[in-house]
Amino acid sequence: MRETAGMIIVLSLICCVSGFSLASLKQSTVPLIEAQVLKNVQGPAIAKVYPAADNQPVEERKAFEVEGRKIMIFPYRQGGKLQGVALEGKGGGFGGDIGVMVGFNLSNDTLLGIGVTTMSETPGLGTKVAEPKFTGQFQGAGMNVELKSKGGSIDAISGSTVSSVGAVGAVQAASRDYRALKEHILRTWQ
Amino acid sequence: MASMWKEFSKGLWAEIPPFRVVLGLCPTLAVTKNAENGLGMGLAVIFVLVLSNALISLVRKLIPKKVRIVCFIAIAATLVVAIELLMQAYTYPLYQQLGIFVPLIVVNCIILGRAEAFAAKNPVHLAIADGLGMGLGFTLSLTFLGALRELLGTGALFGRSVMWEGFKPFTIMVEAPGAFIALGGLLALMNCISIVSARRAGKEVPVNAGGGCGLGCCGTNQ
Repeated sequence: MRETAGMIIVLSLICCVSGFSLASLKQSTVPLIEAQVLKNVQGPAIAKVYPAADNQPVEERKAFEVEGRKIMIFPYRQGGKLQGVALEGKGGGFGGDIGVMVGFNLSNDTLLGIGVTTMSETPGLGTKVAEPKFTGQFQGAGMNVELKSKGGSIDAISGSTVSSVGAVGAVQAASRDYRALKEHILRTWQ
Repeated sequence: MASMWKEFSKGLWAEIPPFRVVLGLCPTLAVTKNAENGLGMGLAVIFVLVLSNALISLVRKLIPKKVRIVCFIAIAATLVVAIELLMQAYTYPLYQQLGIFVPLIVVNCIILGRAEAFAAKNPVHLAIADGLGMGLGFTLSLTFLGALRELLGTGALFGRSVMWEGFKPFTIMVEAPGAFIALGGLLALMNCISIVSARRAGKEVPVNAGGGCGLGCCGTNQ
């Protein structure tokens, strides 16, 4: 009995100390990690979506709220005028969520383009959703993107249907947030 | 002091991981596409190994024998999550490169092997010396293997082109099979050196040089 109690106490103690130290470390690194992700993951994706922008979308980002969720919006300006905004949507892929940065043209509500930020798809198969051949299809597309198999205009990648569905789902999620936020965005920046 | 040096230096040649003890092969084969990745992985392992050895050695008398493995894993896992967070915060590109292999340090047999075979039986200063030596040996091995593969596979070293003009890189060396080829070649070379030096010293030639883990930790690899 004493032996069992000893085992429980020691193991609980070790796990408690681990838990508390990790929780505090996690809290103190949150802003640093956020900055790194912006610089290394979202920054390049944003630049890919609308290369003609002559401002710094990452530095001018603002957080908006939809249904209690915090969403980062990155504005694109050209010649000082707000051309579009980019925001990230997520869709379920084969190996977890696929994050897609989607740029929207504010004047006619079409897509400026998309860039994949995070994914853990199968290398060589699902990862093709990040290649220009797939992402290029979204350029200039309307808000209601859908795969060809579901009556839309986007060609899925053969052999990676789940990843394609996930990527399109991410774009749709971003579109929904954009619709909900458009008024708010225009009021904030113009 | 002498005993600390002995524990430290054994990790650098006599029991250098992964070549001598042949433990922790998964990260060895997977991340050594170039020298920089090997170095980064090695540094992460040094961090985890030294601290896990030190902590386990500190609490070795408190841990009941029956739950020692769970305790070791809990400590190692905590340290690995810590290094993962720190890498994300400070060296994000390296974290992106190493990807899944950072969390996999938890199940790196070198960590558990040193905890069970050394740190759980020795005082703190020796455990730290052992962890430092083993970690440094692992780092050197991985950096060397990465440099070799990068040099042959891309003609570069730490991202800088160093080979003569017209050098045709062997692309296979930076692919998965290249890892096995390079590791096999290095193991054969090390065994060769051991046999020759044993003959010179007039000692009996070891039949299975390099397989001598001698600590009862062989046979389990990730």
